Amino acid sequence: MSAPTTSTPASAPAAADAGRPAEDWTVDELMITRLAACFVDGDQACNGMASFIPVSAFMLARLTHAPELVWLASAVGLDPRPERVPASTLEAPLWRDSVMYMEQFGDFWNYALNGRWLQKFCVGAAQLDRFGNANNSFIGTDYHAPKVRLPGTVGMGDMGSIGKLLYYWNPNHNPRSLVEKVDFVSCAGYLGGGTEREDLGLVGGPQLVVTDLCVMDFEPVTKHLRLQSVHPGVTVEQVQAATGFELVLPEGEVPVTAAPTAEQVRLIREVIDPDGMRKRELGKR
Amino acid sequence: MSQDKRASLAEAASLVRDGDVVALQNMATQLAPMAVVRELVRQQRRNLGIVGLVAGIPVDWMSAAGVMDRFIGGAVSMEQFGLCQRYRKGVEAGAIRVEELSETALNSRLGAAARNLPFLPTRGMIGTQLIDMDPDNLRLIEDPFGGRPIVACRALVPDVAIVHAHRADRAGNVQLEPTAEWPDLGIMPKAARRVIVTVEEIVDSSLLRRRPDRTVLPGFVVDAVVEVPFGAHPTSCFPFYGYDTALHLAWVKAARDDDATEAFLDRYVREPADQAAYLRAVGGATTMLALQRWEHA
Repeated sequence: MSAPTTSTPASAPAAADAGRPAEDWTVDELMITRLAACFVDGDQACNGMASFIPVSAFMLARLTHAPELVWLASAVGLDPRPERVPASTLEAPLWRDSVMYMEQFGDFWNYALNGRWLQKFCVGAAQLDRFGNANNSFIGTDYHAPKVRLPGTVGMGDMGSIGKLLYYWNPNHNPRSLVEKVDFVSCAGYLGGGTEREDLGLVGGPQLVVTDLCVMDFEPVTKHLRLQSVHPGVTVEQVQAATGFELVLPEGEVPVTAAPTAEQVRLIREVIDPDGMRKRELGKR
Repeated sequence: MSQDKRASLAEAASLVRDGDVVALQNMATQLAPMAVVRELVRQQRRNLGIVGLVAGIPVDWMSAAGVMDRFIGGAVSMEQFGLCQRYRKGVEAGAIRVEELSETALNSRLGAAARNLPFLPTRGMIGTQLIDMDPDNLRLIEDPFGGRPIVACRALVPDVAIVHAHRADRAGNVQLEPTAEWPDLGIMPKAARRVIVTVEEIVDSSLLRRRPDRTVLPGFVVDAVVEVPFGAHPTSCFPFYGYDTALHLAWVKAARDDDATEAFLDRYVREPADQAAYLRAVGGATTMLALQRWEHA
């Protein structure tokens, strides 16, 4: 090898370079890239309220590995082209340039309940327990005299029961949000674990939990949350200390979550979310 | 349809009586009939049960002012501006009772009312404790055709539905600009006994005739139609204007303190005698022009 060849296409070195792990990334960006990997061409995905990290993940997937991911913004705007992640994920700037506004009462739920479409939802919850049951209703022991009244469950109260694949994100992994047992089941997960969910005739259910410390999936038989990977620089002990139940570990060494690539970080920072809306979800630990 | 349904805000609000169940259009920071909500506070209506899918600032104001004592619906949240703290305090103190419903349960309850059915079923909520909390209205029942059990959602007939839209004629035929159509306008007016509509402008019917496909509610269901420019403020009314970030933040700050809450309600809700005075209080033309450009959104 004497002189650098000039016959290599100009884009090849750049693309290879872009695929290298980023030297400089933040945990919100890692959560976005991990969630984005859950969505492939042909999927149809919806976002809900205050969902800056999932919206960034959908936009990233569409710009990279899943250009044919169908996104129904806020369950309203089909195939939108927002300029960037706006200050709200439930307001018109998000569904700019849609090909369709889907009417809600008569139309959206026909598609959502049918079972053939809109299979993947990103959801957040105030409490999530070891069997993937979620609570957005209240903290305490008495529904009518709660210690803390939470916002309420709305569509999530349905999504857990109608066969959807649920992807939880939690940017503030702590023992109060990842609990042994939720105070109230407002979105059905695997209930008491094992075959309980199946026995009720429910299909689908929670698939993955992406937090600011780790990624968890569900052990196939017990349906207990199981550590899938820890984020770079995070130890299993740290995750255990921040979790309200005993972790189930994968066999062998616990893998490390793949860091975002340089190109993913560039897209998130410069194209998708230059205003840093994704960071509004962090820092409530 | 020559009947004239035009009314003042005070006349429209008088269709709401103490103790009524009121279906209120609102999706977090979007499209609440705020002018009527303020009028209900001014008229000191009491013991209202508010029905909503995702209710935001109107429910917080009505909680703070002691107008409501029940919430029936999906969620109460101002989205990016957080939980409604006055509502939350009211629930935690036992002053406001919550009957939480999943989205399909609320749609089924209102849908049953619209179609004069005792209930409509849903497959939502199965496995959750939401069903157990509301046995008067939600029951797991056998599928008469032999399939899996389903949830019967009892008809919910609101006494009044209150919605806001872009335009109507004097007969109350309501027309929308191309926009997100939340279930509120789709079902609440059809389920309720009385219907109040506020609109950005009342126009001649000839204008509706140019785009009859955009007319979404026939005047024969409407009892009162009120022209209220910026009638959804501080919530948004796409495409005409965005939500008011500054006023939402001012409310979030005031709601932390009892005296500040009262001062806020006096200044923005109780004292402005009409919509023009209210718009002056919240910043006048400068604010409205900024909202029309969707600044800060």
